[in-house]
Amino acid sequence: MSTRDSLAIPAAKTGAPPRDRGGRSPSYAPFLLSLALAALIIWSWTGSDIELDRLASSGGRIADFLGRMLPPDLSVLPVVLESSAETLRIAVLGTFGCVVLSLVLGPLAAETLTPRWLHRPVQWLLATVRGIPLLLVAMLMVGAVGLGPLPGILAVAFHATGMLAKFYAEAIDGVDRAPIEALDSAGASFLQKLRFGAWPQMAPDIVRDTLFRFEMNLRESLILGVVGAGGIGFYIQVYVRTFQYQKVATLTLVVVAFVILIELANGMIRRMLR
Amino acid sequence: MPGSAVALDNLSFRYKGEDRGSLAITQLRIEAGEKVALIGASGAGKSTLLRLLDGRLRAFRGHAKVLGRTLDPARTPSRAWRCNTGFVFQEFALVERESVRQNVLNGRLGRTHPWQSLLGRFSEDDHDAVERAMGDVGIDDLAGKRVDRLSGGQRQRVAIARCLAQDPALLLADEPISNLDPVTAQAVLALLHDCAARRGVTLLVSSHQPRLVARYVGRFIALDQGHVVFDGPPEALRDDTLTDIYEEAGPVPEPVS
Ligand SMILES: Nc1ncnc2c1ncn2[C@@H]1O[C@H](COP(=O)(O)OP(=O)(O)O)[C@@H](O)[C@H]1O
Ligand SMILES: [Mg+2]
Repeated sequence: MSTRDSLAIPAAKTGAPPRDRGGRSPSYAPFLLSLALAALIIWSWTGSDIELDRLASSGGRIADFLGRMLPPDLSVLPVVLESSAETLRIAVLGTFGCVVLSLVLGPLAAETLTPRWLHRPVQWLLATVRGIPLLLVAMLMVGAVGLGPLPGILAVAFHATGMLAKFYAEAIDGVDRAPIEALDSAGASFLQKLRFGAWPQMAPDIVRDTLFRFEMNLRESLILGVVGAGGIGFYIQVYVRTFQYQKVATLTLVVVAFVILIELANGMIRRMLR
Repeated sequence: MPGSAVALDNLSFRYKGEDRGSLAITQLRIEAGEKVALIGASGAGKSTLLRLLDGRLRAFRGHAKVLGRTLDPARTPSRAWRCNTGFVFQEFALVERESVRQNVLNGRLGRTHPWQSLLGRFSEDDHDAVERAMGDVGIDDLAGKRVDRLSGGQRQRVAIARCLAQDPALLLADEPISNLDPVTAQAVLALLHDCAARRGVTLLVSSHQPRLVARYVGRFIALDQGHVVFDGPPEALRDDTLTDIYEEAGPVPEPVS
């Protein structure tokens, strides 16, 4: 409440009746907000036609469902491994693409490097890109270049740039100017200042952000096949839709192992970066 | 060396957008090998003067000759000239994530071939200069440590070593001790004095603490609103002069005993 009191002081100073703003409306605001929130939840619930008893009777069905997954059908292992590899390739090339794009757009979005008339629009552009879901981009890309991994790679590269370029810009803005000035004073050239002053300050952030984005790209690529943009998502869709649960089991195991492996590898690299 | 290390005539400077000038010096000479303290209240122009002498100030008026070269108000001096002035910063200005040795090596950048250094290749001379500089300030045992693991006093030693690695003829230190505790401050001042004396380097150190620096210099220059208001030996600097210099900034930062 103390912040609200301090907010009320300027209002009093400008001559507005202090009680009006400082006293009454703040006590209504939380109440109205709670009311709106409650209305939102009720609307979501009633509008969705949810039958709670289905949840209650689901225990048996889930057991049945799990039972039908066992034992995993390992005959599809080669197919599943091959399409996982394709997903990995999509994530790797998609990450490569977004790194290249971010190396251009990151500096342009950096406030300490680029004038305001340019970095603001670039920041807006990146925010817009972030706002478009990957699956939507992938569908558009499939429409543009046809089925297969290529639209997946393009979609990942496009979608991920929205975040990665922002991270790069932040890494650039976090660079301390003082050491660079010191190198300048010592007679360093522009490239020397970049290499020995700026780069060591941002390199760990850049590498960490890139790895993080790669991990996200990998996860998000898993479902790209659903819209025909390549990788394991295609089989996820086919096996689930056709109730081949033993194959789904194999697929799930491979995907989980795959994601854990990549996370372990990333964790190791991150620890090496300190 | 023929001529003075520093020769300023009718020098004035005003920051862009400021209505008041930051520097107005009719004449100032500092001879090679001198050790000088630059004092004055906050905002008196100490940093501005030191930046000018380091060749980092543009668009000044008047004549400034530093280490035999007339500074051009329109152009950044060459890499070769910039090596000759070493600058010690109040906030150390080190690359925190790098090792002590790399930071000291950075002092050699102006003296190396730019392309070779980008590939990480430094000459024997460079490595010798780095070892000598680290030895001079007593940080050999820290060489492999990262700077962000060091104390303030250790950091300032690294920064001084970086300057010494440059092989400068003029050492400029902008409030090098204001971030340090009194004991460390004494040690750093002694270090600056000894290194300058041993290498025959001209030393100009600015400080808020005239009593502390008096032991290490042969001359005081006091600035007030960009003007030189005192220039003479430490003995000639009387308490009332100090009060005059600092009066507009409130109490004298350090009690004069
Ligand atoms: N980058 C700057 N832009 C504008 N004015 C500045 C800048 N740096 C310093 N000044 C002004 O110039 C004057 C001298 O500053 P400075 O040389 O930093 O003084 P000191 O180092 O003695 O504290 C002050 O009035 C200060 O406000
Ligand atoms: Mg200053």
